[in-house]
Amino acid sequence: MGLLSILKKLRSSPDKELRLLLLGLDNAGKTTLLKQLASEDVSHVTPTAGFNIKSVLSSGFKLNVWDIGGQRKIRPYWRNYFENTDILIYVVDCSDHQRLEETSTELAELLQDDKLRNVPLLVYANKQDLATALPASEVAQHLGLHLIRDRTWQIQACVATDGTGVKEGMEWVCKNIPVKK
Amino acid sequence: MMEVMATEESKQKRVEDILNGFQVNWMNLRDGDTGKILWQYNEDLSSPEVEHEARVPKRILKCRVVSREMNFSSVESMDKFRLEQKILFKGRCLEEWFFEFGYVISNSCNTWQSVIESAPESQMMPANILNGNVVIETKFFDGDLLITTSRVRLFYV
Repeated sequence: MGLLSILKKLRSSPDKELRLLLLGLDNAGKTTLLKQLASEDVSHVTPTAGFNIKSVLSSGFKLNVWDIGGQRKIRPYWRNYFENTDILIYVVDCSDHQRLEETSTELAELLQDDKLRNVPLLVYANKQDLATALPASEVAQHLGLHLIRDRTWQIQACVATDGTGVKEGMEWVCKNIPVKK
Repeated sequence: MMEVMATEESKQKRVEDILNGFQVNWMNLRDGDTGKILWQYNEDLSSPEVEHEARVPKRILKCRVVSREMNFSSVESMDKFRLEQKILFKGRCLEEWFFEFGYVISNSCNTWQSVIESAPESQMMPANILNGNVVIETKFFDGDLLITTSRVRLFYV
């Protein structure tokens, strides 16, 4: 499922321009996921020292996906990119047990931000191909997703490097674009 | 009057500061369906005095979807970074994109990729007519300050 086909599914949305925001710790797999969506080679992805944006245009409709670097020194700038977000996609490296708490804290902060209020949340439980990866259900528990009351959310197991599960997550995104007033 | 001049001067200084630390690192064109790179250019495309030349394989004109991607870095932070990209045929605008990035982190390296469906093959101009007559013009701004213009002329080979 490429970005263009996602956009085509979204054409029924009343908005002409849609914005997906991709966040998560460094090395979670955000850029790889984005490249996977565009069928691009994912073997040489390097840490993002800023942002990567993909803009897709079809029949006057525009989809912009924002992937912001996850390194600790960049995270304070995340909030500069919150405005007008339609869906928040949060990527977790499920094999990085040591930083589960850190990623939970970052996500909790995002969910408390006013600018992201009510924005639907998709969590990609990435790197499920690794033997040490926690299953999505356990990650959901660590992140406290079941306690979320102010927005719809979904967790999707995936392997960004080969595309497993990525399409399913995007189908959820298509169904959950909020109708803005 | 003095005040107006001072503002003009500080604007000019700001543009210089941003431009000195601003660089377009590379640009590429891809077949949007397969994600395969058809052309990539790895030299600085931001110097406004130079018109760059790109030799692009003809088969790009057969692609249903084409992506244009640019990577740029900035030493200075910017608050209202945006670009205007135009595809010009003999100076006439065939297509344009306006994109607002907003905030740019100091010392950051960023990419912007735009994906667009091609005109139906029946409406597509043949390579020999397009050859050398198409320019991708990208203007970079911070708010209303023009930072630089990058021009790449396309040759279909």
